[in-house]
Amino acid sequence: MRYCKELFPGVFLVISFLLFPGQVQANGDDYIAIRKEGSGKIALVLSRPAATGGKESGWAERLNAEARSGLDFTGLFTMIPPPLNVAGPRGAGSQAINFGALNSVGAEFYAGGAVSKKSGDIVLSMEVYDTIGGRPILRKTYTGKESDLRSIAHAFCADLVELLTGRPSVFGSKLVFVSNRSGFKEIYKCDFDGQGMRQMTNTRSLALTPVLSPDGKHLAYTDYASGRPRLSIIDLAGGKRSSIARSGNSIDPGWRSNTEVATTLSFQGDQEIYLVRPDGSLARRVTNSRGIDLSPSFSPDGNKMAFVSSRTATPQIFILDLQTGKTRRLTYNGSYNTQPSWSPQGDKIAYSTMAKNGEINIFTIKLDGSSLRQLTSGSRQNESPSWSPGGDMLVFTSSRQGQKKLFVMNAAGGGQKRLLQMEGEQMQPSWSLIGK
Amino acid sequence: MCRVSAFFAVSTINKREKKGRIMKSSMSLLKVLVMPSMLFLGACACKSDVVAPEPVKPAAAPAPALGDVFYDFDQASLRMDAAEQLKQNAAWMQGNSSKRVVIEGHCDERGTSEYNMALGERRAVTAKESLVNLGVESDRMATVSYGEERPFSAGSNEEAWALNRRAHFVEE
Repeated sequence: MRYCKELFPGVFLVISFLLFPGQVQANGDDYIAIRKEGSGKIALVLSRPAATGGKESGWAERLNAEARSGLDFTGLFTMIPPPLNVAGPRGAGSQAINFGALNSVGAEFYAGGAVSKKSGDIVLSMEVYDTIGGRPILRKTYTGKESDLRSIAHAFCADLVELLTGRPSVFGSKLVFVSNRSGFKEIYKCDFDGQGMRQMTNTRSLALTPVLSPDGKHLAYTDYASGRPRLSIIDLAGGKRSSIARSGNSIDPGWRSNTEVATTLSFQGDQEIYLVRPDGSLARRVTNSRGIDLSPSFSPDGNKMAFVSSRTATPQIFILDLQTGKTRRLTYNGSYNTQPSWSPQGDKIAYSTMAKNGEINIFTIKLDGSSLRQLTSGSRQNESPSWSPGGDMLVFTSSRQGQKKLFVMNAAGGGQKRLLQMEGEQMQPSWSLIGK
Repeated sequence: MCRVSAFFAVSTINKREKKGRIMKSSMSLLKVLVMPSMLFLGACACKSDVVAPEPVKPAAAPAPALGDVFYDFDQASLRMDAAEQLKQNAAWMQGNSSKRVVIEGHCDERGTSEYNMALGERRAVTAKESLVNLGVESDRMATVSYGEERPFSAGSNEEAWALNRRAHFVEE
């Protein structure tokens, strides 16, 4: 088997949520408004879920640990240790929660719950309170198999983050990237936090620039197995691979929608960006300019495309409006701007700039060219930015420790940290837009 | 070697001119290293082979061989010093009319890899176009870009970079 087959254990989990929807209550609208980007972290007390019985207590311990490390990863929270006298909800009927104690330790929100066992499955009932008003803002039950414990914890984390920020969370999202670990550059996939890493291709030549379709069903990448770089698209459910049957080289794909991926092709002579269907057939050409046109990244509605062009001599980021056909230049700072990544909120574009001394840094810029912000500095090559589903974080490649490795940071450049421990170099990460 | 890179770091004059000079100085450096070693080896051969002198063969004119052409940073246009090698490559193609070649475009490690992939393709294409202008049939030459993925010379200095910015001709 040349390509690893994809399985979606998550699908079964989602089904189990549908079968046991539990009690859902969400009054979080008030909080979304005040949680704007740049405001402080959310002060949260997360209590270990209550449990009776050895099995349930073990689950509670592990669910608590998974939820805690997951929430910590987002960088959105200040996790305050639970005060001893907080008491808390036990099972379905909540007991009195000591909001005075929570307020005195500075908590804004309190989350706790209980774990029980039903037909051998985990049943996690969670409650979240606003500590100032003492109001419940979320009550929900999560059910699943013991093997899905991490996903159960993350399903709660996803609800909590989406309730408090109003944006999709990282939980359940995947990363695809390139590593030379095997001696060849191949495509790998892992969870948002670097867990569950697995190899996706086995070309034994070169596989580059992977990107998942918005629905996560297709993987597009550039493959040298035929002796030249070609766009390849794998249907992850069936494992079927399609390649574009055109001459010339293919470079760096970017999805416009679930049914169209854009990439640079040169079969007509000059390098231009074309839209291609998942079966490898050509839909249409979108750029028409002598010189390099490269690295398409689309606005969330698919109507605009950021890309790299050398039409003004040095590589710069341009934006093409696909409805009007008009192209405008976005970047004017620096003489080597490449790798645009359009934020999922649609308001800004991340890209990398190479300085004269060879250092590469990541910047963000608003669509009108304002609010230019440098996110990395003084640490060799920092490149290939890709947004998290909610636009709160970016994954990128950095050679700050010598070899190229994957790092994450928040949208303002804070909290930069290594993502996964893996041999060899890792590069060209792409964050899927699929949330939970 | 150190003197060359120091000269490069300090110098602030015209980039293209500077790189041409680096190439020249590294070539002359090569000569300085190679020639004494050849003389030395020659001397050794004399000592061990006193009795039977080899019959002197008439020196044949060197057959044209495929060779690489080199580029300036972030450029795909052909340099002046590429003309001679391209003529020689065209002569090889004409002398081996049944052969096909793949022209690989390569870049140095600087910059971002996707852009280098595009730049590498343009380098291969300009080399191909030049051979077409010299009378070689277009359909005997394919182009492929390896961007910065297959460097010829390891190392992160201008000498290695200059060698890695190339169009490489491979017989199919």
